[in-house]
Amino acid sequence: MRSSLCFHTGLETGAVMVPPVRYCIPGERLCNLEEGSPGSGTYTRHGYIFSSLAGCLTKRSENGALPVVSVMRETESQLLPDVGAIVTCKVSSINSRFAKVHILYVGSTPLKNSFRGTIRKEDVRATEKDKVEIYKSFRPGDIVLAKVISLGDAQSNYLLTTAENELGVVVAHSESGVQMVPISWCEMQCPKTHTKEFRKVARVQPEFLQT
Amino acid sequence: MPGDHRRIRGPEESQPPQLYATDEDEAPASRDPTRLRPVYARAGLLSQAKGSAYLEAGGTKVLCAVSGPRQAEGSERGIGPAGAGGEAPAALRGRLVCEFRRAPFSGRRRRAPPGGGEERELALALQEALEPAVRLGRYPRGQLEYGVEMYDLVVGCGLSLMPEPSPTWLLDPTRLEEERAAAGLTVALMPVLNQVAGLLGSGEGSQTESWAEAVRLGLEGCQRLYPVLQQCLVRAARRRGAAAPP
Repeated sequence: MRSSLCFHTGLETGAVMVPPVRYCIPGERLCNLEEGSPGSGTYTRHGYIFSSLAGCLTKRSENGALPVVSVMRETESQLLPDVGAIVTCKVSSINSRFAKVHILYVGSTPLKNSFRGTIRKEDVRATEKDKVEIYKSFRPGDIVLAKVISLGDAQSNYLLTTAENELGVVVAHSESGVQMVPISWCEMQCPKTHTKEFRKVARVQPEFLQT
Repeated sequence: MPGDHRRIRGPEESQPPQLYATDEDEAPASRDPTRLRPVYARAGLLSQAKGSAYLEAGGTKVLCAVSGPRQAEGSERGIGPAGAGGEAPAALRGRLVCEFRRAPFSGRRRRAPPGGGEERELALALQEALEPAVRLGRYPRGQLEYGVEMYDLVVGCGLSLMPEPSPTWLLDPTRLEEERAAAGLTVALMPVLNQVAGLLGSGEGSQTESWAEAVRLGLEGCQRLYPVLQQCLVRAARRRGAAAPP
């Protein structure tokens, strides 16, 4: 039985987007503070909102509140990992206390620059947090689904957690270089050598299982 | 070399190339002191750089590229608000590094790439002029995903003081005019904020009023150049928007 894994998280939108109005340059006066509230890519001065980037102007009108005026360089939505976002990362190094990862995808959108993240020992599992061994949960090169718990300080390391059933290792390679198959929430098996290795495995959602 | 049949022999006698070069006009033609040369500006030319711009005015061609961020030296921990909108304290702000280079084939004489003090001085002047416009406080971590945020554009203009027949300040001088000038001035303006971002002058001017007049003339020139740069950036943004997948 082969199970194939694919991960997908829905894109959550909570606001209604008005189609882009026009292109603007840094320093261009956009509108009054009474007509809109400043969003990303803008700054306020003397009661007016000015553009801070060369891009297209968008007015996002939340229901009831003032429209949020923002300038975006490319016509794609913001790609910064936010608190609570599910991210896909690759483990770069491990330690007895934490694992360092490169964040590659936010939801289903790939990032142009990869960010750095940390998964602390106590954030690996929800139960028996102190008995966790990082060496038995992640290895360098594993692809992990995690959730952002904090944006971190100026060292730009996002704090991530895998303390949920659906979070954890999704792709891992065994010591012989073959991609392993998950057999339980804490073990994966190499199909070639049949050796089992310990990982904190993400539960596969039933719709993504092919039997 | 005697008996060397592999190489093509050049002529026995050789002359310096200047003999065959056309004589340039020694004296620059008289012109309206406030004329600005038509400018061709285009942004987004270099795909390798995060941002780039190319500008041509008369015979001068300038290419500029923005890249980064580079790793900051040392890890400074500070208490500062993280996330969008917050400005980091001074210790955690990003740094702007400017480099100015002249190609060896620019100008009348060949210049070897380490151009000495002049290039460094101009790079520093450029950095000082751009710093007030760039929101460095937004980048304590140096992440430049969406482009560098600025308060305003910085428009620069050059002037030269011609000593004869009567001391006049010429806006946007050509190389010939600059060579014959008694003094030079470069002024940088942020048009929307209406603030002078940079001022660099040298030489023997006449009186103080003349310098003030020159600065005023330079600022006027900057204001006239602003719409050209505005259009160039809007066109580049439009091209980017059209090229990006929907």
